[in-house]
Amino acid sequence: MTAATATVDERVAHVGILRRILLKPEFGALIGAIVIFVFFASQSDVFRSWTGAANWLDVSATLGLMAVPVALLMIGGHFDLSAGVQVGTAGLATGIMTTYWGLQLYASWAVSLALMLTIGFINGFLVTRTGLPSFIITLGMFLGLQGLNLGVTKQVTNTVQVGNLDLVPGYHALNNILGSTVTIGGADFPVAIIWWVGFTIVASWLLLKTRFGNWIFATGGEPNASKNVGVRTDRTTIALFMMTSFMAWFVGSTQIVRFATIQAQSGIGQELYYIVAAVIGGCLLTGGYGSAIGASLGALIFGMTEVGIVNLNWNSDWFKLFVGVMLLLAVLANQFVRRFAEQSRR
Amino acid sequence: MTDLEVKEVTDPQKADVPMLEIRDVTKTFGSVISLFEISTTVRAGQVTCVLGDNGAGKSTFIKILSGVHQPDGGQLLVDGKPTRFGTPRDALDAGIATVFQDLAMVPLMAIWRNFFLGSEPTKGWGPFKRFDSASAKKITRKEMADMGIDIRDPDQPVGTLSGGERQSVAIARAVHFGARLLILDEPTSALGVKQAGVVLKYIVQARDRGLGVIFITHNPHHAYPVGDRFLLLKRGRSLGDFAKSEISLQELTRLMAGGAELEALAHELERDPGELGEVGRELAQDTESLG
Amino acid sequence: MIGKRRMWVVVAAIAAPMLVVSACSSRNAVNKPHNQSGGGKGGYGYKIAVVTHGGAGDSFWSIVKNGAVQAGKDMGDTVTYQSDGDPTQQAKLIDAAANAKPDGLVVSMANPEALKSSIENAEKAGIPVITINSGEAQSKPYGALSHIGSDETIAGQAVGTELKKEGVKNVLCVIQEAGNVGLEQRCAGVKDTLGGTVSNIQVDNNNLPAAQTIIKTKLQSDKSIDGVVTLGAQVAQVAEGAISQSGSSAKLATFDLNADVAKGVEDGKIAFAVDQQPYLQGYLAVVMLTLYNSNLNVLGGGQPVLTGPNLITKANAAQVLKLAAGGTR
Repeated sequence: MTAATATVDERVAHVGILRRILLKPEFGALIGAIVIFVFFASQSDVFRSWTGAANWLDVSATLGLMAVPVALLMIGGHFDLSAGVQVGTAGLATGIMTTYWGLQLYASWAVSLALMLTIGFINGFLVTRTGLPSFIITLGMFLGLQGLNLGVTKQVTNTVQVGNLDLVPGYHALNNILGSTVTIGGADFPVAIIWWVGFTIVASWLLLKTRFGNWIFATGGEPNASKNVGVRTDRTTIALFMMTSFMAWFVGSTQIVRFATIQAQSGIGQELYYIVAAVIGGCLLTGGYGSAIGASLGALIFGMTEVGIVNLNWNSDWFKLFVGVMLLLAVLANQFVRRFAEQSRR
Repeated sequence: MTDLEVKEVTDPQKADVPMLEIRDVTKTFGSVISLFEISTTVRAGQVTCVLGDNGAGKSTFIKILSGVHQPDGGQLLVDGKPTRFGTPRDALDAGIATVFQDLAMVPLMAIWRNFFLGSEPTKGWGPFKRFDSASAKKITRKEMADMGIDIRDPDQPVGTLSGGERQSVAIARAVHFGARLLILDEPTSALGVKQAGVVLKYIVQARDRGLGVIFITHNPHHAYPVGDRFLLLKRGRSLGDFAKSEISLQELTRLMAGGAELEALAHELERDPGELGEVGRELAQDTESLG
Repeated sequence: MIGKRRMWVVVAAIAAPMLVVSACSSRNAVNKPHNQSGGGKGGYGYKIAVVTHGGAGDSFWSIVKNGAVQAGKDMGDTVTYQSDGDPTQQAKLIDAAANAKPDGLVVSMANPEALKSSIENAEKAGIPVITINSGEAQSKPYGALSHIGSDETIAGQAVGTELKKEGVKNVLCVIQEAGNVGLEQRCAGVKDTLGGTVSNIQVDNNNLPAAQTIIKTKLQSDKSIDGVVTLGAQVAQVAEGAISQSGSSAKLATFDLNADVAKGVEDGKIAFAVDQQPYLQGYLAVVMLTLYNSNLNVLGGGQPVLTGPNLITKANAAQVLKLAAGGTR
């Protein structure tokens, strides 16, 4: 009897390692990223050059920075449709406070952080107190901020943009942190890429290796059951919304520092791409499952596609069609891989 | 099928003061009397079964014991001392762990994550405080092994486990976190025959480790083999609180099912279908007598 | 314990704004806040409704609105401004505006067919209509008093001619709003007169950082491109960055104007800008409707009133820059 049990255990252990890799939510996105890279790199030498890499990594970083907290929020069971417009709010706030109201650059940077964290808190508070779907609450915030961004900008500037940040004292130091480049192989890589990788690692560690991460999974998977065993689901939710707003502050600041200008309608429409990147990375729309690394891989797929299409001189009118097809394929692939992995266990 | 151990209470002196005594507990919701003067006891190392059909008041009973509701009449005595559970936390602190039907499990999460949900062990300090996953996985495997299950991989999601295995995780979790009294809410109701047998085995193991168990079910065939005490509820009232030696399985079933009325009904239904009219008349009479 | 915490909150609440205010300095305020310019002495008191197809955050239409609103102040009229990029929605806005019985209606027709019945209904109700910016060909057939604007194709041709003079042979035309008919016409116009190749590329005006990378990538992929034409002021600035970062020596020209574009022309980074004076389109439309109501004046002699193409070059960029920063050019 014991001998038979031992044989069974050995066999199961062997399959276990392969299955464990397959079962990781980011596995599908990893395969997708490799496929897309090989596809474009094989057909365009610009794509696989250092300059090419700097280009598609740059696009990926801007998307990926936001996709990571949005993915964490989705794992926690919620959507934030205001994530895109918040990027605009953050940049505009810093710009207006400094260049029109005379506040010192770092002071207005700090004030806009406080503003964004408040917005995130409001989102989280409303979702947890009212029990309404986060889709609706953040939709309201999205529309409100859209109007606020444009209204305040027009009121203060009579135009639809805030610029000339590069003329402000203290600009260069901030630009070094957020907007400078690193030269590798003769190409200029924006530091945003380094920030993106750093934040992804931090988020992944938070999700998988901390108590808070366990609570994120639980709150998204079964909020009522979790509450019964003592998980602070409300605090977790509010924290997740505030993390999204924090990143919006970071990305908005990066934008206005890099370009010295920001438009009133910046970021609108991007929120759906953050969600798409998270879903490609393995996040379930219903919550409770997903990966921060996966979301970054999803953003990488996006960036490579957007730039690769241009490298191959494809008609960019078809870009959105490609994105839609890719999203469906990614989700189907994820589902297939997970089913296969679960079956192989039995 | 009957390889389950049935442990009789050999030493009545040891189990003198019951771990939990429910004395004349009454609960009303508005004008509805949900429970009326219910009494029973649970002792360490014993299983008290609470039986009743749907609507008998079983879920209200559990909620009172786990601290979700407070009784409107009667009292609860823990180790002989009158106690009041204001919140579920109070009941937990008194060592009473309730395993609800939804098991308080998150299906998509790994077993070890579920096991320590809400009570995660941490290592390190400050912002670098880590969820000690290494020891969590080890403890999970050990506790499950103590229940007699070898989970091959503690990383597998709880949702991939069978119903019986999931129950065992919930029970092992409650036992690990210091429960003295385990309340199981219909653990076998959604399971097949073999799985139900497995769960009964876990109940016995928990009992053998010295815990008191309250086993709620509507199936007397599951209750009888493992129970030491039986409380029958019907529409909020107690039909009796019996020790095992005081009642047989058939009697238990009879009392649960409505007793004499159902016997008569079964007898009537055996008759020739041509006499349906008479059967109908007598059924109507029976229904009147039942009120 | 609670008392101590509350004390810290109070201290922070008082200290924080003080710290913030102390960080104010006029050295940081490099932009001048918008001064509400005083209204003129006119007391006409007419109600004018403006319904355009421009997007809310579009810098071009923001200037049109500024012109219309200022004209309202100068004439003493009440001016309302509505816009929607979707033609069916814009038609509904026209109906709603007409129901309020204004003294005049200003409409831009990116999709004339969709607006035809709403405009004709307004005219039947006795409301005079002036069209601006687009839809020049249908303006008179639909019964409008006049059309104020600049033909997109003619403007494109002007750009093509100018670039040809500069020796440009291979142009990248950057379209920042997919499906916008006017933008497509501009690129087509450039193609007419350039005598070389013109290829179009799509970017998203709401995601300018990505737009910059896409333009940069295109320039790196196709080294034969020696000219870039952008169709909106907001894209022009990122195209500037794309050209310099990609190491390309392509010349940049753009349609429409804002402060950054004016600065770019002044610095020589942008060869020239073609401006159709959106402020004038908004302003003149309101003035003409005012004078029509008060004096039955009609401008144009049956021909469209042209506000462009107007070339901004290094010669006049500096003066225009100040005006662009104020949102009127």
